[in-house]
Amino acid sequence: MTIYGLIDCNAFYCSCQKAFDARLKRLPVVVLSNNDGCAIARSSEAKHLGIKMGDPWHLIRDQKKLGEVKWFSSNYPLYADMSRRVYQVLTEYTPKVEPYSIDEMFLDLSGLSGSLSERCETIRSRVEQITKIPTCIGWGASKTIAKLANYIAKDRPELEGLCDLTDDRVRERYYRNLPISEIWGVGRRLVPRLNSVGIRTIEQFVKADPAQVRQIMTMTGVRLQAELRGVSCLELSEMADVRKGLASTRSFGRPITCFSEMAEAVAGFAVRVTEKLRAEKLDAGHVSVFVQTNIHQRSNGWYANQASITCAPTQDALTMIGIVTRLLRTIWRDGYRYSKAGVQLNDLAPCGRQSSLFDKPHEQTSALMTAMDTLNRRYGRETVRPAATGVVRSWRPRQDMLSPRYTTELSEITEVRSF
Amino acid sequence: MSDYKGDRTTGFASPAADAVEGPIDLADVLDLRRPSRYPVRLRGATFRTRGIMDGDILIADTSGQQISGQLVIASVSGVFVLAELQSRKGGWWLISGDDMREPVRVDPALDVEVWANVSGVVREKP
Repeated sequence: MTIYGLIDCNAFYCSCQKAFDARLKRLPVVVLSNNDGCAIARSSEAKHLGIKMGDPWHLIRDQKKLGEVKWFSSNYPLYADMSRRVYQVLTEYTPKVEPYSIDEMFLDLSGLSGSLSERCETIRSRVEQITKIPTCIGWGASKTIAKLANYIAKDRPELEGLCDLTDDRVRERYYRNLPISEIWGVGRRLVPRLNSVGIRTIEQFVKADPAQVRQIMTMTGVRLQAELRGVSCLELSEMADVRKGLASTRSFGRPITCFSEMAEAVAGFAVRVTEKLRAEKLDAGHVSVFVQTNIHQRSNGWYANQASITCAPTQDALTMIGIVTRLLRTIWRDGYRYSKAGVQLNDLAPCGRQSSLFDKPHEQTSALMTAMDTLNRRYGRETVRPAATGVVRSWRPRQDMLSPRYTTELSEITEVRSF
Repeated sequence: MSDYKGDRTTGFASPAADAVEGPIDLADVLDLRRPSRYPVRLRGATFRTRGIMDGDILIADTSGQQISGQLVIASVSGVFVLAELQSRKGGWWLISGDDMREPVRVDPALDVEVWANVSGVVREKP
C-alpha cells in the first residue's frame, strides 16, 4: 500500500527570520506581504497576541499590546533558499518528495523499512537541526488523508508534531468530530452548501451519497470521498508542470499618476519576466500588459484595462520593452491613480523554434542579454538593467523592514563575533 | 564570450579535447550546496593565534554532533559567537579564543545554544 506524508513548516517565513537572528527566539514575529501590506506569517507568540492572517499593518502597528512585535518585509530570496534546504534534507530520508508549496512537501513513505513514526520523528528533528525550522508531519493512505493528518498534528500540541492516520479506526474517530472545512479543497463557499444537505462532519461527508456530493462539487467531490476512505486518486508529482505562462506584476508603494513613471515600471516588468524566460530557455509569442487603480478607493475614479499582442517569439529584454511600451500607450488614461500593473507572457516554447514562415529567423540569445544575465547573477539582481526601467523609481513597493539575504548574498551573510 | 575550454581548436585538433576538466569550483570543495552549510562573516580577532582573522568567512555546518575541541557558532543571549566547544564537569562549555573571558556554560534555558559547527575558513583578500 502506498503511504503519503505531508510535512509542513510551522510559520515558515517567521521561522526563516528566527533562524538567523538569535534575538528573535522568544519574540513575536510577523512577516508582511509585498509592499508591507498585511500579515502573511505569524510566529506562535504573534498568534497568541491575537494577530490574524491578513491584518493590515497600518491599522495594527501602533497598538500598545503589540509593542514587542518584530515586523519584517517579506524576504523571498531567503525563503526560497530555505525551502530548497528543507527539500534537500527530505530527499535524504525518503526517495520521492513533491514540493507542493514553498513550505509544504508531500512524501512517498511507502515500503520503507522500520517504524514510520520513528522515521518521521527523525525527519522532523533533522530538518529542525539543519534548517532551524520546526515542522509537523502527518501521513496516511492518500494525499487528502496526509493533509488532514498534518492539520491534526499542528492543531494538537500533545501529538508532538506527528499524526498517523494509516489505521482505519483512528481515522474514523477523527472523522466523527472534524468539520468538513478541514478537508483539503473544501473551501468557504462549499461549506454552507454541504451543510444545507446535512453534511457537517467529515464522517458525514465520507458516507454521503456520491450522487449528491457530485451534484454539489462535481467529480472532485467524489474523488475526495474516495481519498478520505483511503483509496488514493492523486499521485505524487515530483516536478511542477512546464509553465504555460509567465508574469511579473506589482502593487506600487504609492499610486502612479504620470505616464513616464508607468512606462518605467512596465519596462521593469518586461526585464524581469524576460530574465525568467532566458533562465528557462523559453521564447514568448504573446504579450499582455495590464494597469489598474485601487479597487477599494473608487472615489477617485476606477479604471482597469489590458492589451495584448501576438509577436515573433522572443526572449530579448529590449525587444520586450518596446512591445510593452507600445501596448501601455494604447491603454493609458491620464488622470487616474494607478496602484498596480503587470506584464504577462504566453505562448511559451523552447527558444529558437521558428513559429511562422514569415518571422525573422530567430537569433540565439544575444551577447548583450548573456552579459547582462551573467553580471546580474554574479553581482546581484539589477546590477545592470536597461535605463528605460527608470533611475529614481520611487513607486517601488515598500520593503522598509527587509532583513539581510542571509544565505544568498555574500555581503549580507550572518555576522558572528569571536569569543 | 567564448566557449573555448582547451578542446575545440580550428587548425590542429587539440590532443587534450577528451581531457577537459574545467576550473576548480570552491563551492564544491567547501560543499556549499549541502543543505547544512551556511557561510557566516567573522568579526573580531580573538582566534588570531589559530589563524582565524577578523573578516574571514566561516563555513558553518548545522548537521554535525557536538565534539569536544570543535570550533562552533553558538548563540549567547541573542548574539552569534565563534567559540571552542569543550566538555567539562559533565557539561558543555564555550571557551574564548584568547582565554581573556570566562568560559560560558551551554544551556538553552540561559539562552546559550550551539548553532553549528565550523567546517571551514575562507579568506578573500589576505
